[in-house]
Amino acid sequence: MSEADPIQVATLWFLSARTMAIAGEEIPSLQESATGLYAQAILGFTEDICLKAKDAAHIKNKTLIDCLSGLRQLPRELSEKILTGVMMISYSDRSMKPLEVRWASMLASAIEVSPDEFQRCCVNARVIASMLRPHGAES
Amino acid sequence: MSDQETNFHFLERFDKRVAQLAKQAEEYVHTDPDSCMFKLRLMVETMAKKLTSLQMQGDISKDLGAMLGSLERGGIVPRRQADSMHAIRRDGNAAVHGSPTPVPTAMRRLREAYKISGWFCKIVKRGSKVKLDEFIPPHPPDPLTKESEDFHKKIDILEESIEERRIATRESLLMFGPQEDVQEVTRRIKEELVALDNVAAAAGEPTIDADFVALVMAMDLEQIEEDPRHGGDSRQARREAEQQLEQIKKHLADRENEFLEERTFLMKQRDTIC
Repeated sequence: MSEADPIQVATLWFLSARTMAIAGEEIPSLQESATGLYAQAILGFTEDICLKAKDAAHIKNKTLIDCLSGLRQLPRELSEKILTGVMMISYSDRSMKPLEVRWASMLASAIEVSPDEFQRCCVNARVIASMLRPHGAES
Repeated sequence: MSDQETNFHFLERFDKRVAQLAKQAEEYVHTDPDSCMFKLRLMVETMAKKLTSLQMQGDISKDLGAMLGSLERGGIVPRRQADSMHAIRRDGNAAVHGSPTPVPTAMRRLREAYKISGWFCKIVKRGSKVKLDEFIPPHPPDPLTKESEDFHKKIDILEESIEERRIATRESLLMFGPQEDVQEVTRRIKEELVALDNVAAAAGEPTIDADFVALVMAMDLEQIEEDPRHGGDSRQARREAEQQLEQIKKHLADRENEFLEERTFLMKQRDTIC
């Protein structure tokens, strides 16, 4: 995948993030808007890119295998940022269901992060989740 | 609609104060659109307080923006109604702070307030039947001049454009696109995820991260930050993330200011012509 294709990268982000939210069995509005804020504030996508990334032409036919494969091909820094964001989505309700753990595990395997690197992503995810919650990271 | 009539009669049965504010807003829409916006903002604030006291527990924010945010996050105010309430709040604040409100803008918000009112009645009295008739815009006290009509058209075009840009901003932030069938997408992803989970389990791959993730989640953020292995990273991450988040918030606030400036520019143009 070309590094210069931000729409494809943004599509990977939205697919990874919504999969984590779905694995958590509910999609509260907080997770919904946190997804876009993270895309724009941390990943640096523009509004237009975020809109196009969710367009049927880009996202409709992408499977989770495509998503894992796409993430694997991204530069390491970027894929770690996506993993961090996905963990942020997972943390936002302060509980993890088995499918959330599985998805996190699959993402971590796909981008080949070490346990230490994964833990760093988790720490950063906690930091960001606490910023995006109205009352810190409290439930 | 005659002078004695109002679009908001039905509200009296549900909340007299909200009904009174709505009728006052209606009266001012042509003669004093800024006052119309004050009244509409107060009307939305009164509604938000009532909904909060009826449906929410715990500390209640006194700030209207935060109150609406909590109501929306709590699933009490649906997105469409929340958008309209925020629009009234923003334009009401702008009017309070001296930004002039054009008549078509006030009329647009009045129409939105009418729609919100119908929904509000159903929420405050469960099971009540409220059938909204078509909103009838109040007539101006004097017939509009050709110049005023042209100006109103220009403002309407601008308002449409602002609305489209606000919708684009909102949709860009959401997890799903506007054309997507969320239920269908959710079903498909869940099915795929369960299949992958089964394959992984059949291959003997345990959910090895479960204990680890549980451990991380059980730790207090402060304890993690104090951990010498991660403290530096988390503090740096916080600084960077805060800066980036602030940039986006500033960008969104700048956009709203631009909308106001565009509106004010048109108002000044009209004043120059007149």
